[in-house]
Amino acid sequence: MKALNANISTMSEVSRSATPQSDSPAQAEVTPEVCIRIANFNAWYGSFQAIHNLSLDVPRNQVTAFIGPSGCGKSTLLRWINRMNDIVPSANSRGTLMIDELDVLAQTTDVVNLRRRVGMVFQKPNPFPKSIYDNVAFGPKLHLYLSRAELDELVEWSLRKAAVWDEVKDRLHAPALGLSGGQQQRLCIARAIAVGPEVLLMDEPCSALDPASTLAIEDLIYELREQYTIVMVTHNMQQASRCSDRTAFFFEGKLVESGPTQDVFTKPQEKRTDDYVRGRFG
Amino acid sequence: MATDINAPVDNSDPPAASGYPGGGYAVSTDNSSRRKLYSRLFYLLCVLISGLSVVVLGVLLVSIGWQGHSRLTWDLLQNSHSELNPESSGMWPSIIGSVFICGICAASALPLGIGTAIFLEEFKPASKPLRMLHSFIQLNISNLAGVPSIVYGLLGLSLFVFMFNVFGRIQVNESSGTELFGVSHYYQVLSLAGGGHTVLIPQEDESQKTIKIDEPTQAVSRDGETFELAIWDPASGQPKPSDPEVRKRTVRKGQGGGAYSETEWYYLRLPFGKSFLAAGLTLSLVILPIVIIASQEALRGVAPSLREASFGLGSTKWQTVRHVSLPAAMPGIMTGAILAMGRAIGEAAPILVVLGAAVAKNSGPQNLMDNVVTMPVLIFNWAGRQQAAYQELAAAAIIVLLAVLLLMNSAAIYLRQKMRVG
Repeated sequence: MKALNANISTMSEVSRSATPQSDSPAQAEVTPEVCIRIANFNAWYGSFQAIHNLSLDVPRNQVTAFIGPSGCGKSTLLRWINRMNDIVPSANSRGTLMIDELDVLAQTTDVVNLRRRVGMVFQKPNPFPKSIYDNVAFGPKLHLYLSRAELDELVEWSLRKAAVWDEVKDRLHAPALGLSGGQQQRLCIARAIAVGPEVLLMDEPCSALDPASTLAIEDLIYELREQYTIVMVTHNMQQASRCSDRTAFFFEGKLVESGPTQDVFTKPQEKRTDDYVRGRFG
Repeated sequence: MATDINAPVDNSDPPAASGYPGGGYAVSTDNSSRRKLYSRLFYLLCVLISGLSVVVLGVLLVSIGWQGHSRLTWDLLQNSHSELNPESSGMWPSIIGSVFICGICAASALPLGIGTAIFLEEFKPASKPLRMLHSFIQLNISNLAGVPSIVYGLLGLSLFVFMFNVFGRIQVNESSGTELFGVSHYYQVLSLAGGGHTVLIPQEDESQKTIKIDEPTQAVSRDGETFELAIWDPASGQPKPSDPEVRKRTVRKGQGGGAYSETEWYYLRLPFGKSFLAAGLTLSLVILPIVIIASQEALRGVAPSLREASFGLGSTKWQTVRHVSLPAAMPGIMTGAILAMGRAIGEAAPILVVLGAAVAKNSGPQNLMDNVVTMPVLIFNWAGRQQAAYQELAAAAIIVLLAVLLLMNSAAIYLRQKMRVG
C-alpha cells in the first residue's frame, strides 16, 4: 500500500519513501538488504525437474542478472517469483521463496496482490491493442479507484519514469501498436510500474529489440534500480555486465555461482562460469 | 565477386557433393517436363472444380430471378399472405416474424454460447475429474454441431412447446398451462347498448368457463374503466333504460357470458406452446454449437502474451477475460455470431416442427406467446402450391431472403475488417 500511495504522489516523495537506502549507496553495496530470499527451491514441469535445490538471495534496489544457457531454469525461476507459472498446469514447485515477509509459494498467498507487488516485463513487447494511455492506465484501473485527474497524473508519471513520455506525450490516445519495438517495450515497463510494484522481473527485455533501443532500455533499467528491486534474465553477457549489480549463473537447473557482477565476470570461482562468460559455450 | 549479367546462365545441375547418395543417377528431362505437365493439369482441375460451384450458384440465382422478378414489388414487402388472392399476397408478417425469432435466438444463444466458449477456453481446470468433465463437454459440443436441425426441432417441441406437459396441457384458444403474468381473464357479456357492445366481468374461478348474470356486479369497460354493472329485469316491468350511456353499463337479467382473456405484450405462460418464444429458443439450440465453436476459435487466437501481460499486472481471471481476451476476440466472435444468425434466419425445419406450417397471419406477434410466420416457412408453403402466382411469389420471397442473408454476411465481413484495423 505504501508504494502505491507513493505512486500517486509526486516523484520526489516516491524516491524518498520507496528507497530508504538510496541516501547511502556505498553502504548498501557492502551489506545489501535482502529482498527476495530463495532457499532449497525446486521446480518441475510435469515430471521434468527444471530447478534443483537452488538457494539465492536477491538484494533490494539492485539489478540482479540471471545468466546461463537456454533451458537452465533461469526463466522458470523468474516466473515463480510472481507465480506466473500458475498458468502452466503442469508446473510445480517446492522450497522457500520469500519476498520480505511474504511467502510467495504458499497456497494462501493472494497472487493478485503478489503480482501487484512484483511487476513483470516480457521478452517480446506485448502492449494491449489499446491506446498508449489505456495501456498504462490498465493496471491502476484494476486495483484502484482514481479520479480522471489522478489517473492522468499517474500515467504521465509512469511514462516519464520509463523514459518514453517525450516520445508519446502528443499521441497518448493513439494505438500502442503503432509505436516502435523499443518504445513498446518502454511502454510495457511504464505499464508495469504504474501499479506500484516493489520488484520488477524482466525476462530478456531486450532480446527482441535493435541495438539502439536496447541501449535505451539498459539505461532505463540502471536508473530504475534506485526505486525497484530488479531481476533480469538475459542471454547477453555484455548486457549483464553493463547494467547489473549482481549476477547469478545457472547451469542445468542449478545455481553455479552468484555474486557482484564484476567478480563473476572477472574472477569467477567456477570453471563453468569462466567458460560461459568468455563465450566458450552456451 | 563481379558477375557479368550478360553471361549465359548456367542451368545445368550443380556438381553433387562427393558422397551424395542421390548422385550418379541420370537426370531425366522427360520426367521433369512430365511433372510440370501434371502440375499444370492439377491446376486446371482445381479451376474447373471451383468454377463448377460458381456456375451452379449462378444458375440458381438466374432461375430464381427469372421466376420471381415480376413479383419483386413493394406489395410483396408490405402485404400479408392471402389464400384467395395471390396477386396481392405479400410477406410482411413473415419478415417481422423472422426478425422477432432471430431476436429471441440472438438474445439467448449469444450470451450462452460466448459464456460457454469463455469457460472452455479461459477457465481450463487443473484437477483431473474437472479436466475430464471439461473435455466431455468439448466433445459433446463438437457432436452437437453435427446434429440435423430437425432433431433440434423435435427437442424444442417437447422442451419448449410442451415442456413435457409438466405444467399442464396446452389447449387451443383457451387459457391453459401455468400462466405467470401479463394476462387477465374475463367473461364477456352483451350489454343493452346493442350492436355487439359488450362489458367484461373479471373471472374469479378459472375452471368456470361461462357465467350467468343475475345480480349487480363489478365490471370493466373495453377502455379498462371499472364500474358497477346494473341489471335490467324485463319481468319486473321496469322500462328499458333509454340513455345510451346507461345502456352501455346495463345488462339484461339472466344474460350469459363466455370466457375471454386479454393479454399484454409480456404475457408469459408455461409451457410456451406454439409461440415465437419457443421457436426462437429452439433455433438458439440449433446455432449454439456454431456460436460456441466460433467464439472458441476467436479466443484461442488471442495471443497468450496478452493474457500473460494482464495477469502480470495483477488482474484476476475475470478482469483478464473482460478487458483483454474478450475485446481482442470480439471481431471473431461477432463474425461467428452473425454467420450463425444467418443460419438461424434461413432454417425452416425446426420452425415447421415447433410452429407448424400455417401462414395465415396478417401481423407480427402481439405477445410473447403469439404464433408467427417466418420467411422460410412462407416460402415452403408458397412453393408447394399449384398456382403459378404462388410459385413466382416463392421465388421473389427467396430473393428477399437471400438479400437479407447477403446483407448479414457483408456486415460480418465489414465488422471483421473494421475491428481488425482498430
